[in-house]
Amino acid sequence: MLKIEHLTKIYEDGTKALDDVSLTVADGEFLVIVGLSGAGKSTLLRCINRLVEPTSGKIYLDDVDITAASPKELREIRLKIGMIFQQFNLVKRSSVLTNTLSGRLGYVSPWKSLVYRFPAQDVARAHANLERVGIAEKARARADTLSGGQQQRVGIARALMQEPKLMLADEPVASLDPATSHSVLKYLEQINKEDGITVICNLHFLSLARRYASRVIALKDGRLVFDGRPQEIDHRRFKEIYGEEAVQVEIGPELTPEEATQAP
Amino acid sequence: MNNQRPPTKPASLLGPLRTALLVLILAAAYAYGFRVTKVNLYDLVTGLPNMHHIVLSLLQPDLFVRATEMQKSDTPFLVRAESGALPPPPATPPAKPGPSVEIYPSVAKPGDVIEVKGRDFKPDTPGVIYLIWVGETRLGKITTDAQGSFAAKVVLPGDVTQGDYWIEARVFRELNWYVPSETLILSLRLMLETIFLALIGTTFSVIFSIPLSFLGARNLMMGAPFGRATYYLSRTFFNLLRSIEVLIIVVIMAVVVGIGPFAGVLALAVHGIGALGKLYSEAIESIDPGPIEAITATGASRLQVIAYAVVPQIVPQFIAFTLYRWDINVRMATVIGLVGGGGIGFILIQYINLLEWNQAGTAIWLIAIVVMAMDYASAVIREKIV
Ligand SMILES: Nc1ncnc2c1ncn2[C@@H]1O[C@H](COP(=O)(O)OP(=O)(O)OP(=O)(O)O)[C@@H](O)[C@H]1O
Ligand SMILES: [Mg+2]
Repeated sequence: MLKIEHLTKIYEDGTKALDDVSLTVADGEFLVIVGLSGAGKSTLLRCINRLVEPTSGKIYLDDVDITAASPKELREIRLKIGMIFQQFNLVKRSSVLTNTLSGRLGYVSPWKSLVYRFPAQDVARAHANLERVGIAEKARARADTLSGGQQQRVGIARALMQEPKLMLADEPVASLDPATSHSVLKYLEQINKEDGITVICNLHFLSLARRYASRVIALKDGRLVFDGRPQEIDHRRFKEIYGEEAVQVEIGPELTPEEATQAP
Repeated sequence: MNNQRPPTKPASLLGPLRTALLVLILAAAYAYGFRVTKVNLYDLVTGLPNMHHIVLSLLQPDLFVRATEMQKSDTPFLVRAESGALPPPPATPPAKPGPSVEIYPSVAKPGDVIEVKGRDFKPDTPGVIYLIWVGETRLGKITTDAQGSFAAKVVLPGDVTQGDYWIEARVFRELNWYVPSETLILSLRLMLETIFLALIGTTFSVIFSIPLSFLGARNLMMGAPFGRATYYLSRTFFNLLRSIEVLIIVVIMAVVVGIGPFAGVLALAVHGIGALGKLYSEAIESIDPGPIEAITATGASRLQVIAYAVVPQIVPQFIAFTLYRWDINVRMATVIGLVGGGGIGFILIQYINLLEWNQAGTAIWLIAIVVMAMDYASAVIREKIV
């Protein structure tokens, strides 16, 4: 269980990115965070694994206070929190396998890992995870030879190497076309359902949120303005979240015509 | 909506006035500059013909010489003050097979004419007669006859001091092939030294600048404790080393370890740490921060993040910069010999001081060839890896 209490983040330049956000995420939820650009979605995710240091407030993962963790404790907490990114953040010149294995670094002996040695069972695990996201045959390829969708799947495989309880996804499909977006989100859905990994995911498209989320929260100017089930976001709520000028736009994916919503 | 424009400045006389002032300042600066640097076209034009000889000599580098076969023979010889009261002549050594030389008289005083006779040399061959002391003095030229004998009268220098000497005759026969000249052999040997001097110097600077460059990378250091201080300290250190020219460091190092290639190696290493450290640091700063963030988020330690997210991204650039540095260092190594740092510059400056332009040409051509080859090779390798 993830518990966020009165979380506030003010950046050095004075930008208040998060303003007293409190939130509890139960195990096994697929939580989608929506909101305008600049609403504070990324900041919220990054505070959870302290890639961004919160200004005030508390975050607990299974009753362990993340915000108070020492550097060593923090690394142990991070082991349990996987993360994937909009830009995939793979090491482009390294192989897919090495990228995947790097998700295991927190578990292995530091000195062996510095000479790029991993235990055999970790290598086997990496192959299994690549198999799981459907790119086992790409293990030896250089990461930058893969398509965007494939790279994001490597990102998922890398995060799975951590055996996480919680998966953070910061706009994982914003750089992908609609069909590929679905394929990537389906893998997230799969690990959420099959492995019981809690997923917290930032999404731009409300249509995608409606399709995959078990729960949606909305941020506006750093404040929590909606928390509920995806179906509850009606026209009025939509205007609240995205502003009066926003229009619902429709992208026509070939299979299931879904109403896509895009912030202006 | 958006019809606001930035306010245009009112036209004024300030513009042209400022231009005029600028032109005036520039003119003054250049006038002064020409004076202190003593720019003088007349000297250049009238002096140009002096270059004619040098250029011609440089164009005829001393590369190969006809192979020769030498035959020599010597005999003892005394120089005394009085030709009147001559001590008995030294015993002539027992006759050996092969050429021999005799002198009449075998005791003489400075300025005397002596006769040198030789037998059993190669026939019809030119040669030279030397007076041998610690060094040697050339006394005259000879040519053997059809039987391989010669007889020549030579004059002893008037300033020769009393003592025991040898008289030696050498005849040279040119053979029908060419061999590398001494200059060429020496130049090649020193060129090799030059290349290795650059290699070792570069290696030392790489070894030290790689770890330091991480301390001088803003993106890695700003998060760490004392990061900011370490960053500025490293960068200042790099700039300091970089700003001291190699030739100056050679002179300083020559005081420490003595004149020679090691002084050159140290100088290249010291300057290179500054130059490479800065380039490496900037390469690290220009990497994609995404992977760093991603690997950090997996719970990896700082060292692991560097090994997995930073190193793979910088390797090609590091190799390119290193080759580039080696390339520069070969060029530098050719001149550090001028100030006592070893390498080919060491003999080049001697040839130039002795006005031996053909020999200097040999060294200069060799430098040009090697530098161009290095330039080409490093460009090819860099293209392959980046
Ligand atoms: N490192 C930073 N320093 C200063 N301000 C920042 C920093 N990162 C983000 N901000 C500001 O904080 C606010 C929230 O940013 P954040 O990236 O969390 O928004 P977001 O909801 O993820 O937006 P997007 O949809 O564009 O990714 C924005 O106003 C942004 O400009
Ligand atoms: Mg964002």
